[in-house]
Amino acid sequence: MSIRLSDIHRCFQGVIPSIIATADGRGLPNVIYVSQVYVVDDHHVALSRQFFSKTQRNLDENPFACAEVMDPITLQAYRLKLTFLRAERSGPLFDAMSLRIDAIASHTGMAGVFRLIAADVFEVTSAEVVAGFLIGPPANEPMGASLDGLRTEMRGLQWVSDRINRATGLESLLTVVLEALEEYFAFSHTSVLLHDEANHRLTTLASRGYGRSGIGAEVTIGEGLIGTVARERRLLRLSSLDAELRYGRAIRQAAADSSRALQDEIPLPGIPDAQSVLAIPLTVGDRLIGVIAAEDRDPMRFNEWHEAYLEVLANQIALGIDRMIERCDETADAVVPLDAPAPVPAPPTPSRRTRRRLTYYKHDDAIFVDDEYLIRNIPARILWKVLGESMRTGRTEFSNREMRIDPALGLPPVKDNFESRLILLRHRLREKCPDLQIVSTGRGRFALKADAAIEMSER
Amino acid sequence: MSQTRIQRCLEAGLSVLVGTADAAGRPSCCRGIAISTPDALETITVYVPVATSHEAIQNLATTKKLAVTVTHPRDNFAAQFKGEVVEARLAREDEAPIVKARLDAFADKLERIGVPGRLSRSVTYWPAFAVTMRVEQTFDQTPGPNAGRPVA
Repeated sequence: MSIRLSDIHRCFQGVIPSIIATADGRGLPNVIYVSQVYVVDDHHVALSRQFFSKTQRNLDENPFACAEVMDPITLQAYRLKLTFLRAERSGPLFDAMSLRIDAIASHTGMAGVFRLIAADVFEVTSAEVVAGFLIGPPANEPMGASLDGLRTEMRGLQWVSDRINRATGLESLLTVVLEALEEYFAFSHTSVLLHDEANHRLTTLASRGYGRSGIGAEVTIGEGLIGTVARERRLLRLSSLDAELRYGRAIRQAAADSSRALQDEIPLPGIPDAQSVLAIPLTVGDRLIGVIAAEDRDPMRFNEWHEAYLEVLANQIALGIDRMIERCDETADAVVPLDAPAPVPAPPTPSRRTRRRLTYYKHDDAIFVDDEYLIRNIPARILWKVLGESMRTGRTEFSNREMRIDPALGLPPVKDNFESRLILLRHRLREKCPDLQIVSTGRGRFALKADAAIEMSER
Repeated sequence: MSQTRIQRCLEAGLSVLVGTADAAGRPSCCRGIAISTPDALETITVYVPVATSHEAIQNLATTKKLAVTVTHPRDNFAAQFKGEVVEARLAREDEAPIVKARLDAFADKLERIGVPGRLSRSVTYWPAFAVTMRVEQTFDQTPGPNAGRPVA
């Protein structure tokens, strides 16, 4: 029975490795697993070429190949007869396949060692169900996502956009975005990371569904799954993360004897047994705003529909975040002029029930509270400035503006993300030092509230 | 081939892939259920379900050229054997328990990496052909830069 590739799209999500058989010029067969067969269109597929293998040598001599792919829900197998057409070393197909491989390589510490050499494109001359593969008829199970059609998609877009527009600040916007992803898409483990151009990193500013919020966790652009998505500005969906990582680790093990140094593996963010990941770049034009990451224990949790739809939604979210950051900037600048009268000193009146020892380590640009890491970089400098000022003068209220013009804090002259740095600082204090709080006191202003005796030292 | 490698290739719970080609060099593949060897991999017998191996058996009848790859699902350790078929026959009833045990072991391993056992046990395994090959070449097939290298 001949079938269309689009009818068996689940086979191409990389959940179950596919088989590829080739033969050399003398007809001697070769059969191996490939981690994923990529669908180019209904008549073409592509395989990734990461090493110069026997398969590629055979295809140079004999263009015919046979692949067997398997539906991860039913385990029904399908056999494709293929003819090798060409190897693509650049272009959209190459880029899409390369992103996936780069992300896995980076995540397993194999960046630069394990990479895409070419996308080998094949014409599919026949695609048939392997009759008799299963003892009984395939047990079709419902997919996780709804495919309810355009009306539902439009409603969803409207629903999320409406929530974004009603958000009153950056923090509430990030919260409603993650709430919306859970309520509308049932994504239960999500996080938002915002781009900090000053240090070329992404910082986690909101998360949902995790025992520990992970707020403040940083990812270097280009490193790991999320860092690769940020660098490439392209959405990444991995449907069987465990298998992909096993494959990457097998290569890492095989390459361990080589002379090239391998980097340490970056720990997976979030749930340790995640089977699928969806990472969506948030961009405005060419500018990276951040990344939304979702993960799940179900390897089939995210599908093509999510991918296509969330790309549209990501534009809305990116614009919303960008607008909110700009609005925070404008508000602060407009409301608090340079010559504004200094706030009336109001010495902190902590109950002194507890004592907190905060240490700023100059070399690491980091603050520790009672020997536990609190925060670093610009948010650390902000906290150190307001704490010092408060200790010296008794002031507890500060303006965003005075922070912005202090060169010692090192904020970038434009797009300084001041609001997001305050959000991060507030969260970290809430988690690690709840006796010390940064609270908003109106447009462009904030106050330091201490409910403990603070002891400051520098090293 | 080292004893350790031989042992790994014969452990229960392996996946078995079978590659053949017709007289015009057009390849075909199917999944096998089990392999066995009486002589430390000098020869191997691969069991393939009758229902899904028509093309492979036809090709073998013409060319006798066979490739068999075994893989550990957990760590991707893999080896490929190539050679000429010396016998292809319907598997005997007394071989059914071996084949069933190998399928069960494979299903158990898959279950540990998230594939429900009820699904992997729904794969047809019997009746089967037993195809015996004289192994002429063995290759390391573990993913990585050494994949495809001959194993001494």
